[in-house]
Amino acid sequence: MSNRKLNFEQPEHHSDTNRQTSDSLEMLLHRMTNRIRQSLELSVILAGVTDEVRFFLGTDRVKVYQFEPNASGEVVAESIYQNNLPSLLGQHFPAEDIPIEIRQLYLTKRKRTIVDVAAKLIGMSSLTNDCDNASSNSKDEDEQIQFRTVDPCHVEYLRAMGVRSSLVVPIMDEDRLWGLLVSHHSTPRVVTPRELEVVQLVADQTSIAIAQSNLLESTRIQAQQEASINRVGRFLHSMTQMQLKQALRQTIAALQGSGGRVYITPQNIVDQAQLYLSGEQPVLLPAIENRASANIQIEEHPDWQTWLDHAMQTNHKIQSWAIAQLDTNSLPLSLDQAFKPTEIKSILTIRLEYRQKILGYLTIFRQGIDLETVWAKRPDSSDSRNQYTLRSFETWYELQLNKARQWIEREIELAQILGNHFAIAIYQYQLYQQVNTLNASLEQRVTERTAQLEQTNQKLVREISDRLKTRADLERLSHQHELILNSAGEGIYGLDLAGKITFINPAAAEMLGYDVAQLQNQPMHKIVNHFNVEGIAYSWSENPIYQTIKTGKIQYITNEIFDRQDMSNFSVEYVSTPILEQEQIVGAVVIFKDITERQIIDRMKDEFVSVVSHELRTPLTSIRSAVGMLSSGRIDPQSSKSQRLLEIAFNNSNRLVRLINDILDLERIKSGKVTMIKSSCNAADVMEDAVESLQSIAEKADIAIEVIPLEINLWIDRDRIIQTLTNLLSNAIKFSSSYTIVTLSASLQDNNVVEFQVKDRGRGIPTEHLETIFDRFQQVDASDSRDRGGTGLGLAICRSIVQQHGGQIWVESILDQGSSFYFTLPVDIQLRANGRSPIRKDE
Amino acid sequence: MSKRILIIDDDDDVREATQICLEVTGDWEIFTASSGREGLIEAIAKQPDLILLDVMMPVMDGIETFSELQANVITQSIPVILLTAKAQPAEIQQFTQLQVLDVITKPYDPFSLSDRVAQAFFAD
Repeated sequence: MSNRKLNFEQPEHHSDTNRQTSDSLEMLLHRMTNRIRQSLELSVILAGVTDEVRFFLGTDRVKVYQFEPNASGEVVAESIYQNNLPSLLGQHFPAEDIPIEIRQLYLTKRKRTIVDVAAKLIGMSSLTNDCDNASSNSKDEDEQIQFRTVDPCHVEYLRAMGVRSSLVVPIMDEDRLWGLLVSHHSTPRVVTPRELEVVQLVADQTSIAIAQSNLLESTRIQAQQEASINRVGRFLHSMTQMQLKQALRQTIAALQGSGGRVYITPQNIVDQAQLYLSGEQPVLLPAIENRASANIQIEEHPDWQTWLDHAMQTNHKIQSWAIAQLDTNSLPLSLDQAFKPTEIKSILTIRLEYRQKILGYLTIFRQGIDLETVWAKRPDSSDSRNQYTLRSFETWYELQLNKARQWIEREIELAQILGNHFAIAIYQYQLYQQVNTLNASLEQRVTERTAQLEQTNQKLVREISDRLKTRADLERLSHQHELILNSAGEGIYGLDLAGKITFINPAAAEMLGYDVAQLQNQPMHKIVNHFNVEGIAYSWSENPIYQTIKTGKIQYITNEIFDRQDMSNFSVEYVSTPILEQEQIVGAVVIFKDITERQIIDRMKDEFVSVVSHELRTPLTSIRSAVGMLSSGRIDPQSSKSQRLLEIAFNNSNRLVRLINDILDLERIKSGKVTMIKSSCNAADVMEDAVESLQSIAEKADIAIEVIPLEINLWIDRDRIIQTLTNLLSNAIKFSSSYTIVTLSASLQDNNVVEFQVKDRGRGIPTEHLETIFDRFQQVDASDSRDRGGTGLGLAICRSIVQQHGGQIWVESILDQGSSFYFTLPVDIQLRANGRSPIRKDE
Repeated sequence: MSKRILIIDDDDDVREATQICLEVTGDWEIFTASSGREGLIEAIAKQPDLILLDVMMPVMDGIETFSELQANVITQSIPVILLTAKAQPAEIQQFTQLQVLDVITKPYDPFSLSDRVAQAFFAD
């Protein structure tokens, strides 16, 4: 570039004809095309264009003038030859320097103008058809330069600039008048149509370069915006509060703001708005009449809402937005006061919406900027200084301080896109929060439910434990009941309402001659065939147990008769009790026992009482009769009858005494109330003593007593054994015929017992009496005993005494030959244990 | 003609005391027997007007003797007073159900016995 530029500084000045060869023209176009293609930077391209055109035309100054949106313009590129004309680069020219009708000609007719100041002629050439000129229909004709007198003002203007010849070719950007390519020369110069054609070609190439440059700029801006969106999006997608703030900072940076804020609308009345701030913020002063609004945010202020509703512009793409340039747009007073103390000069607010839901506001603030403009002349034509400037074109500086920066369309679009990202992110964040809340709520519910389940579980465990315990108790009870039922000696059975057996214990089944299983569910009444005490069978409906089931009355029954399976029967007594469940009779339980043995004992008792009664009443009868007669005085006391009655009374009194003594004695011995006072006694001594006491009676009956003594020590109650021996010997004497011998002997047996024998030669005892003769009042012939002074209790007493010594007593007898009474007594074991023989050897 | 009374009792003293009592208190002719069997023979032989019959006797007791008396045409119409040392109510009830004239419990008062015997004859 610099080399090429150096070349340009060696112009072959004023050698038009030489330069305008086709070769050099092609070279020029080729170089320019290359320059345009080699660089995308417009400033470089434009600098090259001015250099090449000035070099081609050989004029003093070539410049590129660019129009601004307000129709003023600035010299953006310039090439000057040897300062023949002053530099205008960077200078601004007001809109009225190029009147709008001229600009229209440039735009619509593509007019090129050539001014010869000296001749005061202006030549104009159109690239498009000129409807006003009917004669210029062909291209050739169009290329003809039409000269006419130039506007004196224009001549004056150019003279003031020191220009004597000018060439102006419009530069188009698509359909827009972008600027002008201008060549000035300080001396008069003729511009040939060929030169005009070449400059036009250059201007066309410049248009292409501008289009390319615009495309490049647009691409750059797009890339920057995408980068900004990515940065902001990266912070937004992580969705934490800190990064929302970071996203806000990035957004502010991307939009070249000084600060900003994100206001998130509360989701419900209990929530508070969320606010993220960055940079300088407006300070909302509470209205005096509304202290309650002290803490509200500007987004919540009614005036803000009103302003938004009024200023809000809806972009067809996404959100609504509003802008305010505080030096040109007026905010409501309260808001204006909020911004006044700040450096904020412009506001851009994007309403954050997603799915028709307003989520909040993104607001970006910008501070004012200072603008410095270099003017070639005062833009205000009424200014008197313009006169001077017109003559001198002396530059001057315009400085605009703290000026609001305009929001341009692409910035608003970027803000909208970023706002959309914010909206989506906030929406997702709120969803996330809701999910979190729901999760928390769910977790809370799970926790509560778990706690409930745990409580239920514990309750269940307790219930199961209680039930198991109850079951164990029931089983234990059941087992106890079963044990009790099985162990009970009495028969126990249960009946249902129909009289069928629901349970029966083994004792009951055994008494009835059945197995328990045979009786289950059987009708008990038919099984046992109830008979009453008279032996008459009765029906189930007459059965007392039936009455129990029907009426609940407990029945105590005795002396009934039950059948056994083998058709034998037995007497029973039973009690039937209703089984109640919840106060309802569901059956009966019957407890019965076999009273056969008891009946036998009762009978024996009755018989005994009867016999005792008889035995007592009989002597009393004699006594009472005798005494009664004697005491009446109706019988002579001296008479033989009287004497006889006295004897009867006396004898029967004695008999009564003996009887009473024996009865009492027997009862005392049997009941154990009389203790056997045992000592070591010699058997032979006892035998001798017993025989001696009966010797006189025996002699009176002409009976001899033979003793075969045994010298051995016994462990006995001496008196009781003598009583026993006396009793047996007395009986033997009583029932022996005269002149016979009664023998008393003793012998030692193997098992340390001594066997005594009392033998008579009397009439003997019938076999059927041998078993019962030791029972009370069981004489073979009662009259015998009375004849012989007996009471009928002697042998019973003997048996009791022997049994109290651990011995046995029995009788052997042969009718008409005699009887032998035997009993056994224990040897003195202690004596034997001491190594001494119980047998006395010296005698 | 005096009434004739047969006393059947296995106890010698009772039999003798009763005989003396009746002989003293009434104009009655007394016979005695010491067992049921002997009493039956005497009853048939003597055909007394009244029999005093002891219940509790060995071999053949009073009840059996009474049955025999009842079974015999000769003796069946002779009134019988039972003399019994069995004095339990059930026993008394059992005896009164028999076709006997009276049941007298031992030990009896000799004059009461005499009165009952006299009543027997009076009723007759």
